[in-house]
Amino acid sequence: MYGVPQMPLHTPPLPLPAAQTIPSLPERPLHSLPPHPYLPMGNLPPPSPASEQKLTSKEPSPSLQVDESSLITPSPAFGAVPTPPASRPELYSIVGQVGEGTFGKVYKARNTINNVHVALKRIRMESERDGFPVTAMREIKLLQSLRHDNVVRLYEMMVSSGSVYMVFEYMDHDLTGVLSQTQFQFSEAHLKSLCHQMFRGLAYLHHKGVIHRDIKGSNILINNQGELKLADFGLARFYQKRRRADYTNRVITLWYRPPELLFGATVYGPEVDIWSAGCIMLELYTKKPVFQGNDEISQLEVIYKIVGTPTLQRWSGFANLPWYELVKPKDPIPNRFRELFRKWMSPAALDLAERLLDYDPARRVTAAQAMEAPYFLTDEPKPEKPTSLATLEGEWHELEAKRERAKKKKRE
Amino acid sequence: MATDFWASSHYKRWIVDRATLKQARADDVLYVAEPEHLGFFQIYFANLISKLGKKLQLRQRVISTAIVFFHRFYLKNSYCETDPYLVLSACCYVAAKAEESPVHIKNVVSESRTLFSQQGPGKPTFPSDNSKLAEMEFYLVDDLECDLVVFHPYRTLLALCRKDAEVEAEAGELGTGIGAEDGPKYWGSGRGKLELSEGALQTAWFIINDTYRSQLCLLYPPHLIAISAIYLTLVLHTPTQNTIFDETTTRRQDPVAFLADLNVSLSVVSTISQEIIALYSLWSRYKEEPGAQSAGATPGAGTGTASGGPEWRFGYGHTITPLILPMLLKRMREQKLSDMMHPSSGRPVAVNKMLERTQAAG
Repeated sequence: MYGVPQMPLHTPPLPLPAAQTIPSLPERPLHSLPPHPYLPMGNLPPPSPASEQKLTSKEPSPSLQVDESSLITPSPAFGAVPTPPASRPELYSIVGQVGEGTFGKVYKARNTINNVHVALKRIRMESERDGFPVTAMREIKLLQSLRHDNVVRLYEMMVSSGSVYMVFEYMDHDLTGVLSQTQFQFSEAHLKSLCHQMFRGLAYLHHKGVIHRDIKGSNILINNQGELKLADFGLARFYQKRRRADYTNRVITLWYRPPELLFGATVYGPEVDIWSAGCIMLELYTKKPVFQGNDEISQLEVIYKIVGTPTLQRWSGFANLPWYELVKPKDPIPNRFRELFRKWMSPAALDLAERLLDYDPARRVTAAQAMEAPYFLTDEPKPEKPTSLATLEGEWHELEAKRERAKKKKRE
Repeated sequence: MATDFWASSHYKRWIVDRATLKQARADDVLYVAEPEHLGFFQIYFANLISKLGKKLQLRQRVISTAIVFFHRFYLKNSYCETDPYLVLSACCYVAAKAEESPVHIKNVVSESRTLFSQQGPGKPTFPSDNSKLAEMEFYLVDDLECDLVVFHPYRTLLALCRKDAEVEAEAGELGTGIGAEDGPKYWGSGRGKLELSEGALQTAWFIINDTYRSQLCLLYPPHLIAISAIYLTLVLHTPTQNTIFDETTTRRQDPVAFLADLNVSLSVVSTISQEIIALYSLWSRYKEEPGAQSAGATPGAGTGTASGGPEWRFGYGHTITPLILPMLLKRMREQKLSDMMHPSSGRPVAVNKMLERTQAAG
């Protein structure tokens, strides 16, 4: 509409059904925005010719009638020009809640035009005294600039009743959920593929200069085609490849937090994600998180019990870290990693895991290097996407897994 | 780390044509005595953003992003129907967050109140309530369609003209535009680097700052604006001129060959240069009163603008001071309001769309 060849403002996930007539629509209910505060007369300008055009070129309205109470309407202003409310189709109908993000709930919803499912992540605005949350802004900016098979795709942004929604592609499961179910057994080849896809996603992020900073089971999504995608960029940040900057060390869910952060490091890079990825790799095999500490101190102790205590040979810089005196290991503990995990993993897998969980961030492998490991290249079996996940009944997210557990407890 | 400009929302959605710019001002132009006053408003508001940004200690790139947000917002809205002061304050607030140097909302409100209270007769009343700014921010982000990534010409300038090719990305800098590593793709072989002296580089940088006083950032991609700024620097910066024609220097560079080597349309570059000159011509008639000489129009004082030097007089026609602009704006908004209430048709205009439709339905 600005006279430049361009993509439609908000590409719907799939091509729309062609040639639809536009029936007159019901009044847009309930969800209209309050009058713009910067319009002194509380009046919207009459639609300009441009906006008229916009209207007809935008998605044809669905002839479906859906329950209005569960409908969300994209904001009029998101259509580039204030669009007369009457003509807005009810685009998404909420199916249910599937998760809890860093700053709001995540819903499964159906696009009422093409019936494609999407995930709606609601950014709650009313609780924010400082306006639009900076984390949300960061996530939006990041995701808009990322496009990769192993990174969850942000389709569009949407405004409705005072909330901003991020519209994502829908993913059937998350890793925590899918590992907690017992119907479907992953083969060695499946696990290897999931692991490989995770490193592909991470290699892409790190190449783009992004540290995820919250790699954990519930942020790794898997669909029924066996594709794995990284999600939830609420804590992610750009980093500088040449100059290391100071960041907060209060990131990454405790169980996946690397030792340098537990030692108080504020200068770090993409290696923090690699440690988390190492934890995930082990979790794929053992089906549950391996380092489950209760607080920072006990987290370090749990790590020591498995991979031993750090020494100057293993990690030359660790005595210089801010909290070294506070949390340094009291007695040396030997490394029992290989003997503990031998029953789960092949030697090649153990080799890679060891390089991922290297104490010294400088020596830890990069995501790109990990993809070149013998585990992926020569070790049998070859990776294979778990496409048979489609046969799995139900959808498995951490949220459902939690609820399931709670139910079981009640029954007992 | 250079995120691809050609795949960005900046390129796909926010580079517009002149007809769109004209259409965006269609309502405002009915309420100003002279259409060129709208150009003065652009200078005035951009200067205010610049001043507010400096008070909030924002870096130049953040300020430029704020101005781009402001221009983008007014592609969809009219000055006479909105409160530009609240909008520009929100632009600074959002830009600071989007560029990873957030400031507290309280500071934005208090600095805005101080700054706007100095605007003389017709000065705006800025709400003291944080929630008003937060609410405005919401509508702003909405109208910006959540496209918060803005590319700027600065990076191209540094990639093309700085001695050490190392263009360091600042923390959180995403909208870096086309960087050194993309060279061959966008401007030919990349061997045609043009080293500018520190002074010349500064001049080019200031010219880029100045372009934000117009809507050039909505019309052309940033790397072309950067090249136009380099071109104007070669023409206008006297010491650089001297070195070009000085036969004795050992490291002579050929700026003509440099420009010819670039993989860009030079006719577009010359159009942009003309536009920049036209902006200076307009700007030279815009006089900050001597007492209030500040950030906006002082050349070379580290405030980042290149206009106003003695050899830079392009202007003619009567001058205007920013003092009268708040008055003009106030009058525009009052007239608009009264027209809405007493339209020439004699029938009262519906207060909102909902009512209007109800009326239409009988």
